[in-house]
Amino acid sequence: MKSTPDHVFVVEDDASMRVALRNLLRSVGLDPQLFTNAQEFLEAKRTDGPSCLILDVRLPGLSGLDLQRELAESGVQIPIIFITAHGDIPMSVRAMKAGAVEFLTKPFRDQELLDAIHAALAQDRIRRHQQREVSELRKRFDSLTPRERELLSLIISGRSNKDVAAQVGTSEITVKVHRRHLMEKMQASSFADLLRMASALQIPYTKV
Amino acid sequence: MKTPQSAIFRYGIGLSFVAAALGLSLAFESIVRDGFLIFFLVAVILAGWFGRTGAGLLSVAVSMVVVGYYFIAPYRAFAVDVEELPYFLTFLSSAVITSWLGSARRAAEEKQKAYLDELFEQTPEAIMLVDLQDRVLRINKEFTLLFEYKLEEIVHRPSIDLIVPRHLREETLRSRERLSEGHYVNVETVRQRKDGSQLNVSEISFPVVVNGERIACYIIYRDITERKRAQDELQKAQTELAHLSRITTMGELAASIAHEINQPIGAIATNGNAAVRWLAQKPPQVTEAEEALGCIVRDADRAGQVIRRIRSLFSKNSTPMVQLDLNEVVREVLVLTAYETNRRGVVVHTELTNALPPVVGDRVQLQQVLLNLILNSLDALVTITERPREIRIKSSHSEKVVTIQVEDSGNGWEEQHSAAIFDAFFTTKKNGIGMGLAITRSIIENHGGNLRAERGKPHGAILTFTLPLAGRNQ
Repeated sequence: MKSTPDHVFVVEDDASMRVALRNLLRSVGLDPQLFTNAQEFLEAKRTDGPSCLILDVRLPGLSGLDLQRELAESGVQIPIIFITAHGDIPMSVRAMKAGAVEFLTKPFRDQELLDAIHAALAQDRIRRHQQREVSELRKRFDSLTPRERELLSLIISGRSNKDVAAQVGTSEITVKVHRRHLMEKMQASSFADLLRMASALQIPYTKV
Repeated sequence: MKTPQSAIFRYGIGLSFVAAALGLSLAFESIVRDGFLIFFLVAVILAGWFGRTGAGLLSVAVSMVVVGYYFIAPYRAFAVDVEELPYFLTFLSSAVITSWLGSARRAAEEKQKAYLDELFEQTPEAIMLVDLQDRVLRINKEFTLLFEYKLEEIVHRPSIDLIVPRHLREETLRSRERLSEGHYVNVETVRQRKDGSQLNVSEISFPVVVNGERIACYIIYRDITERKRAQDELQKAQTELAHLSRITTMGELAASIAHEINQPIGAIATNGNAAVRWLAQKPPQVTEAEEALGCIVRDADRAGQVIRRIRSLFSKNSTPMVQLDLNEVVREVLVLTAYETNRRGVVVHTELTNALPPVVGDRVQLQQVLLNLILNSLDALVTITERPREIRIKSSHSEKVVTIQVEDSGNGWEEQHSAAIFDAFFTTKKNGIGMGLAITRSIIENHGGNLRAERGKPHGAILTFTLPLAGRNQ
């Protein structure tokens, strides 16, 4: 699963805190990229791979919460761990609602931060894995003929070959052939497997 | 100064002059013709001068009789020949006039002297007259009351040995030197009474000059102990007020301060954990741990500095006047306000001129000045939404002064309030008590500088203060 290296980004305006975070993360084998403000982070080229962002809430210029919104709006999905010197409840609620992984108040216990980072990276890995899987399935789905796609949505609604044949006005044997073809194309090992794929692809099934 | 002479003494003097004139006239009769005229006229003048009008007139009368008897024909007889009458009458009238002139002049001078003596005595300032060797010639009543010396205890003795405390001897000698060069010297200093107790005085001294020559010096003392105490009290009250206002200000900055201390503490904790982890590895990563520990030392130092700075701002004691760089003071204050400006979305621009010459001042009080100005600007920016919230701090200098300017993009104040903004208890803020600028100005003025406020164009406020360069302080 761990094919690409993990990336941890730190956006923190306080130099002491920034260096301290780097020291801590390096001591557990992570190699964080450091940024002093939100703008710098936005402008930086980020390499692909499981990532997480450690973000100070209060930053000069664009605040941490602003950056969170900006990233969401531009479709960048990266788990965020907020750190703040004075976290108030409304602020943390806002951050968590917007999808933050964790909201830590300085000074925090190192383990809390490290756990949050690992959780965030794991979450991102899963997300990335799912994303990869879906795009693979999408590729397979795209290789189906229109007829096969039509049959697929009927099959996954749980109807028998006979019913499907009647529905589309063909013979049961033809349906069987199509069915075998699309199972092969989708690389589905069983009907249950095909169902899971269809649900991952969010293919609508045709109701009776 | 002199006791009035008795009438008998005065008349006696008049008569003795006449007797002397008679003796001299008889002695010189054979040598100088009519020499008696001179002798008797002089006797009459002197009698009038020393014995006043009465004795003068008596001597005129006696002279007339004596002259009639001895020197006007018929001689040695109390009679005057008719042909000698005009001569005799001329003598008589001259005698009357000279006697009257002498006594009148004398009376006028005595009156004049009495006026001046009375003034000298009764003036509510302590006055001392000394000769060029600083020996006391004369003192007045107030002087004896103030210094508790009687004239006879002090007269002819050098004043510096009597009323100048030992530690001020050198300084006093220098100022006496300036006095002897003909300068008017005015100082506030300390003098001592006969019993050695000390008092604050203002000392004014100036030479007495006759025909271009200095003959003596007047030294006038005024007791300013009370004034000094009132001043000290005022100073103390002002210091206390400044302290209170500083505490209030610091209250407003509580979050900022907490942040400023929390930041390095957070970093210390994180670095500590990092060090522990480096050392727990097998083998322990000593170099990496050392780096983290170095950071801890640095951050602890930073936290310590912040705490020291804050403690000094809370402190009631006044800090010493030292040479300082106002740019540094600006930066120190901005550290304290950084969190607050950040929180309120205010951007602070600084345009600090490099290599600013030093000024002399109380660091804490000057920090307070900048804190007040910056917090005022912050408050002014709260309601601003239609333009950037900005504070601009500039420093510059001329040959005489360093200038610091704090400008904001707030709403400033209304024109009609321009005159009142430095007044105590004047405020345009909802929760203000109106002491900030009044205190700020009194601090600046105590440092020999000045503070002015202008309305910004098209909006905002510009507060500017100047402080004299070190070495240019009055």
